[in-house]
Amino acid sequence: MKVAVDRDHCIGAGNCAMTAPSVFDQDADEAIVILLTDSPPDSEQDAVQQAVDRCPAAVIRLLP
Amino acid sequence: MSLPAMPMPAEDERPFDPPPEYAELRAGATMIRVSCPTGLDAWLISDYAGVREVLGDGRRFSTRPGLAAHVLSSYGPESPIDNFTRMDGPEHVRIRRNFAPQVTHARRLAELRPMVERITDEAITRMLASPQPYPLHSQFSTAITTSVIAELIGVPSSQRHLLHEAAMALFDTSTKADQLREALTPLYTYLYEAVATRRAQPGDDVLSRMIEHSADSDRPLTDTELTEMNAALLIAGFDTTASMITYGLLALLNIPGEWEKLVADPSTAASATEELVRYLAVGTGLLRQATEDTEVNGQPIRAGDYVVVAVQSGNRDMALHADADDFDITRKPGAHLGFGHGAHACVGQQIARMELTTVLRALATRVPTLRVAVPLNEVEWKKDSVVRGPAELPVAWT
Repeated sequence: MKVAVDRDHCIGAGNCAMTAPSVFDQDADEAIVILLTDSPPDSEQDAVQQAVDRCPAAVIRLLP
Repeated sequence: MSLPAMPMPAEDERPFDPPPEYAELRAGATMIRVSCPTGLDAWLISDYAGVREVLGDGRRFSTRPGLAAHVLSSYGPESPIDNFTRMDGPEHVRIRRNFAPQVTHARRLAELRPMVERITDEAITRMLASPQPYPLHSQFSTAITTSVIAELIGVPSSQRHLLHEAAMALFDTSTKADQLREALTPLYTYLYEAVATRRAQPGDDVLSRMIEHSADSDRPLTDTELTEMNAALLIAGFDTTASMITYGLLALLNIPGEWEKLVADPSTAASATEELVRYLAVGTGLLRQATEDTEVNGQPIRAGDYVVVAVQSGNRDMALHADADDFDITRKPGAHLGFGHGAHACVGQQIARMELTTVLRALATRVPTLRVAVPLNEVEWKKDSVVRGPAELPVAWT
């Protein structure tokens, strides 16, 4: 599984960091998404998919 | 020929469900033109994908007219932009990025949790020492959410009535524009002075942190902008969440089996919160305006047309969950529209989640015998408010 984020359009809602904290963090200054790993383990698949679904700004993508 | 009226919630007939007209529209992703309560004509979108598409695309669908100008008469869509909820694109992002870190950052929320737990515990202790039936909405739900948001921003107890008075006017569909300005003035005056005070003597509160954060940016927030942002946080921050606590408890205590599930396992409070926000959502939808000729669900929409997205209906779409009309507090949390969607999604959603989860867990643990003290058909509902829910809720326990 590969993940990408678009920080320019992130609004810092924080849903990803709540849903999959081992994959996503937020920067201290603006709460904008930080990708901790672009290749999360399969065990995180469910949580990452939830983060994608729940991102209000649609800035998280699963890559093939 | 006049258009059909926009369907409005009628909680005394269907306490927990959107107007029945939506079911058929939603199933066919059918869009119709409706006449809204304030006289605007708009496209009505009631399916999940359509609502998500409109809210998710701020370029094609502007929030400029105001998210509730279809139901609030104080809100003329042509009036000057006076707050960030009516800004699009980079203007909105500038405000949001100074705002969001204080209320959406996971680490910041973890720091705030003990404060929310203390306020909740004190409210339950007060409740248990009071005569029954106990007016839950005014004495418990509103007291908790007011204390939380006021402590966040650093508003002392003596000034908290200012936000109650402002919210009452803002969310009342019958308030006129000049009445609203008059009702907001005392809160704005208080906050404007507070901005000056915190500039001189910063504290650890959200207002001081916003001042500090924005000072390093290209265009630091002005005193007026800081006043408006904090007024919005204070007003939206207590009434919507308080209504969700009260309305949510009514649903939990009335829909068979759900309160028992929560009492048996209070750790379901987090999924219960998500399900309540999905299931009850907002009753009157959100307004947008098309910026170009476009289409949704194959329906052409012309530049300038108004669009109302029925959030509560979208959350009941079978495309989202096959059993979307069922209420189940153990449902696995997933996407829904209860906090909106897109760049303007509720900025306070993490705080609201934390408050709801904390309150549900604490009540299920400390007051497992909680019950509503009146039959469902005697519950008094708010009438002229865009924030739906019971006007009061008498409760009892043994």
